[in-house]
Amino acid sequence: MATVDPILDITGASAPPGVGLLVLLAAMAPEQLERVLANLATFSPPEGMPVASSEALPANSYPSFQIVAAPAASPAWTLTASDFVSAYQLAEKNKARAVLILGPESGSLGSTALHGLADAVLATQTDLAIPCYELPPHAGLVNSAILYPLTRALFASRVRFPLAPDLGLSLRMAERLARAAQRFTAINQGETPLWPINEAAIAGFTIDEFDVGPRLQPQAPGPDLNTILPVVTGSLFSDIDAKATFWQRFRPLPPAANFSPAQAPPTDAAPDVASMVQAWRLAYTNLQEIWSLVLPPNSLLGLKRLSATDASAFRMPDSLWARIVYDFLLAWRLRTINRGHLLGALIPLYLAWVASHFNITASGTDPERHIEAVAAAFEAEKAYIVSRWRWPDRFNP
Amino acid sequence: MQNAIAIMLQTDPNQASQPLYPDNTSIWHHMSDALHQSLDRVLSLLIAILPGILAFIVALVVLTLVGMAVSAVLRWVLAAAKFDERLARGRGNLDWAPSTSPTALIARVSFWACVVLGLVIGASAFDASYASAATLPTSLLPYLAHVVGAVFLLIAGNLFARFLARSVLIGAVNAQLQYARFLSLGVKWLVLVLTAAMALDHLQVGGKVVELAFGILFGGIVLTLALAVGLGSRDLVSRSLESHAEHSSEHSAEPPIAPTSSPDDGIRHF
Repeated sequence: MATVDPILDITGASAPPGVGLLVLLAAMAPEQLERVLANLATFSPPEGMPVASSEALPANSYPSFQIVAAPAASPAWTLTASDFVSAYQLAEKNKARAVLILGPESGSLGSTALHGLADAVLATQTDLAIPCYELPPHAGLVNSAILYPLTRALFASRVRFPLAPDLGLSLRMAERLARAAQRFTAINQGETPLWPINEAAIAGFTIDEFDVGPRLQPQAPGPDLNTILPVVTGSLFSDIDAKATFWQRFRPLPPAANFSPAQAPPTDAAPDVASMVQAWRLAYTNLQEIWSLVLPPNSLLGLKRLSATDASAFRMPDSLWARIVYDFLLAWRLRTINRGHLLGALIPLYLAWVASHFNITASGTDPERHIEAVAAAFEAEKAYIVSRWRWPDRFNP
Repeated sequence: MQNAIAIMLQTDPNQASQPLYPDNTSIWHHMSDALHQSLDRVLSLLIAILPGILAFIVALVVLTLVGMAVSAVLRWVLAAAKFDERLARGRGNLDWAPSTSPTALIARVSFWACVVLGLVIGASAFDASYASAATLPTSLLPYLAHVVGAVFLLIAGNLFARFLARSVLIGAVNAQLQYARFLSLGVKWLVLVLTAAMALDHLQVGGKVVELAFGILFGGIVLTLALAVGLGSRDLVSRSLESHAEHSSEHSAEPPIAPTSSPDDGIRHF
C-alpha cells in the first residue's frame, strides 16, 4: 500500500503515551474514503484522533479529526510491510497510543465494527484487535484452506482471518510489526505481506478477535490465482520457517470466541465442480513426477485414489490435505525443488481441495463446519510436521 | 586339344622352388621396427609427462585435504561465533535452508575454492611438463580443454532444459492446457538440441553438417510446437482475448482493482 523510506530509525524506546488513536487509511476510491470518514466521525476518542491517508483529505469537512499526510500509497489488496512501517512511524510522530489500520474497501465496514476495533486497543489490554468477517460461502477460500488452518495449528490461534486487511494495534504491537516489516523494506520488498498473528504469538501479546459483520473483500490487482497464491503461501511458509523454534513446542489452543463466524447467504451461481475435477485429472496426469519429489508414497496413493473418483463423489480427506500442505512446507524449507515450481505445483492440489469443499458443502454440510474440520485435521497432523521438520531424512511411507 | 591342356597345366619345377616375395624377412623386420619406434615414442612421451601427471594428482590431493581442513576450521569458528544467528538478526527474515545456512555455504565455498586452486596448480604443472614433451602432437591439450568445455556445456544445458521443461509443464497445467506435457517435452528437446549443437561446434566436430542438422531439427521442433499450440489453443486464446477486453472495459470504470477469479462462477479465492 505505502511506499516509505526503507531506512527508518525505529528506536526501542516508545514515546510517552498521551494522544489517542491514529487511523491509517489505505489507498481507496474517494467514495469509499468518504464512507470511512463518515463512520469514523461517529466516535471520537477524548484525546483526539489523527487520520492519516495518502489521499488528499478535505481538512474542514471533519473538524473532529486531525488530518495527517501519509506516505504515497499504491493500491494493494492486503496490508504490506510498508504499511506497518508507515503506521508506526506516524504513531511515533503523533505520539499515539494505538493504531487502527483500515485496508482497501473498508468503507463497507460499519461504524460499530470500527468502534469495536479501536476500543479494544485503546481501552483494554489488547495488543492486536483483528476482525472476523462475514463472507459469502465461496469467498476467502485460500484463507480457509491454508492460511487459517496453518496459523491455528502452528501458532495456536483461533483467529479466522490471519491476513485481515483491517487491524487495531497497540503501540508496542505496531512497533514490533514495524521492526519485522523493516527487514523487508530495507531490501526493497515493501510489498511483502506480514503475519501479525505469528508476530503477536511469539511476543506473547494479547490477541482479540471481533465480529465485524459483512465486508467487501479487496481483490488482488492484475495477476490471477497462479501469481498471488505463490506470493501469499510463500510468504507464510517463510514466516513459519523463521519461527520454527516457537511452533515446534506444544501450545494449547485458546477457548473459542463467544461468536461463530457468520456467512452471507449463498449466491445463485453454483460452481462448476465437474470442470474443476477435470482440471485436477489433467494436473494429476502431468504433475505426478513433480509431486513425487515432495510427497511421500502414502499421500501419492491418496491422490491416485482421488483421481479415479467421479466428480459427484470427489472428496479430499482432511488429513490428506493437511499432510500435503505440511509436505509442501517441508519441501519449501529443504528446497527440494525450485520454490517457484513448488508453489506452482501446489495450485492444482489447492483447486482440488476447493472442488472437494464445494461438493461437501453442496451435500448440506455447513461450510464453516467443514473449515473447522480441516483446521482440526491440521492440528491432529501437527506431530507429523514436527517430526518431519526435525528428521526430514527419516523413512516416511 | 588334350595335349594343349596338359601343357597348360604342367608346372615348372624350377618355378615352384622360388619364394612368393623377394624378401619376406625384411617386411617383418620393417613392421617390427615401426612398432618399436612407435612404442618408444609413446613410452618416452609417457615418461616425459609422468612427472606432470604425478604433480597434477599430488597438487589436487594436497589442496583437497587443505580444503577439507579449512572448511572444518571455518565451520567450527563460525558455529562458535554463532554467525548464522547474528546474520539472521542483522539481515532479517532470510530463508536459509539448513543445508544452505551461511556457515555451511562459506565452508563449502572455501572447500571448493581449494579444490579449484589444486586443479589450477596441477594443470599448470602438467602444462610445464607437457611443453617439454616435444614429441606429443601439439593439438592434443587444447583439444582436451575443448572436451572439458563441451562437457560443461552439456551439463549446463541439461540442467537448464530440465528447469525450463518443469516451468513450462507447471505453467501449462495451471493454464489447463491439454498438451502441457507435449509442450514441456518440446521445450526440453529444443534446449537439448541447441546444447548438443553448441557442444559439437565447440569440439569442432562435423562442421557445416552439424549446423545444417541443427537448423533443420530446431526449425522442425519450433514449427511443430507452433502448429500444435496454434491449432490446440484457439479456444484458450479467444477466451483470453475476451477476458482481456472485459477486464480493460471494467478497468477503465474502476482503476485500481481487478478480479482474482472469474466473477461468473462466484468463486473468490482471497
